[in-house]
Amino acid sequence: MRLAVPIKVVGQRFGLPILVLASVAMIVLGKADTLLFERMRSGFADSAAPVLRIISEPVAAIDSVVGDFRDLFALRSENARLRVDNERLLRWQQVAQGLEVENGRLRELLKLTPDPSASFVTGRVIANSGGAFVRSVLIDAGNGAGVVRGQAAITGEGLVGRVTEVGERAARILLVTDLNSRIPVAVDGSRERAVLAGDNSDEPRLVYLPPRSALKVGDRLVTSGNGGIFPPGLPVGVVSGITDGIIRVQPYAELSRLDFLRIVDYGLNGVLPQAVAPRPPKPARGGRAG
Amino acid sequence: MRAMVARRSEWSPVRLVPTVTLVILAVLTVLPLHVPDYASVAPLLALAGVYYWTIYRPDFAPPLAVFACGIVLDLLDGGPLGVGALLLLLARAAVLPQRRFFVNRLFPFVWMGFTMIAAGAILFLWLLGSGIEGAWLDLRAAMLQWVLTVATFPAVAYFLMRVQRACVPPE
Repeated sequence: MRLAVPIKVVGQRFGLPILVLASVAMIVLGKADTLLFERMRSGFADSAAPVLRIISEPVAAIDSVVGDFRDLFALRSENARLRVDNERLLRWQQVAQGLEVENGRLRELLKLTPDPSASFVTGRVIANSGGAFVRSVLIDAGNGAGVVRGQAAITGEGLVGRVTEVGERAARILLVTDLNSRIPVAVDGSRERAVLAGDNSDEPRLVYLPPRSALKVGDRLVTSGNGGIFPPGLPVGVVSGITDGIIRVQPYAELSRLDFLRIVDYGLNGVLPQAVAPRPPKPARGGRAG
Repeated sequence: MRAMVARRSEWSPVRLVPTVTLVILAVLTVLPLHVPDYASVAPLLALAGVYYWTIYRPDFAPPLAVFACGIVLDLLDGGPLGVGALLLLLARAAVLPQRRFFVNRLFPFVWMGFTMIAAGAILFLWLLGSGIEGAWLDLRAAMLQWVLTVATFPAVAYFLMRVQRACVPPE
């Protein structure tokens, strides 16, 4: 006990400065070499994932109960809205079926190479990032489930982000709104290419649009498939505002209420033979969502 | 009083209790609450924890414990590693010399002190974040985060007070 006293004194006197220096060193190192810290992070996320999953379950349960009550009050208006929607969608369905048949026939005529089909891995969001720094979430699916760095994360509505760190049981998804997120997109219809750049605000910006573009508010954006990691045609969002040359995009996915995410496995950039990736039974591409 | 068995200078598992509470607070910060825009303004619960223990039992929440909690927070929320640790360590260093002012005061006074510490901490975080990312972060989000951090302090303090009464021996 007595021998330990000097160590303790040293620890008490210099412990704080040493640890402060260690923190600063970590910040600087993290900025320079991300690989080491990335491994640390994914390792930690792996071991924390079971705990986080257990804790986040009751939170999700309470949330769903609250949501049920809210839905109950909105039932009547919701019903009316859905009936109108349904009518409209049924019409669309007929149009789509017609187009699908025609598309299939034309593809056959042209001997078009089919796009590689995508398969999905689903994970539950178990942790949000806090604070003004990052926009990312942790999901409880990792390497073990087939999640690979760079894959796209989507909800039923549209693109959510990209896998940036993968552990055995958990993976981190960088949301499209994050400051470091850059997604190659295309304007639906005109096929103009651009990059969706997050800036930590709710609505990411559209940059590198070709000059004299005819982009207008309300235009739909989809992933362009440039870069070869994301499947082309995933819905991303709509142009919500153009002010002073800054184009804002409202993502389709409700990023603040993420629950389950689907990770799109594009079959290693189409290098894998077709038979390896599980094909959906319909001739329609599995990669299309929403 | 089982807790009385643990004397000051001797190590006992009781000493880990504040550290455990700090880690719990860090985990609570990152829980997906499904509240719109909550993630960007999630209250700094761990800061409240560090403030509380620094005032009432600084010897039970040494720099190393605070550092560990900060690292856990950084690893969980995916931000730059070291930022949370630095923030919490500096908060501890700022509060420690002032703890005598707070230790026997009424709760509103302690809460007032925390509003100032939280303001300093979030301003520091905002500046540091802007520096690291090379772009100004959203100041409104930072201010909202400050309001939420201050607003949740009574709940955190109540929880920690119950923990302290239950298992941490008096000084």
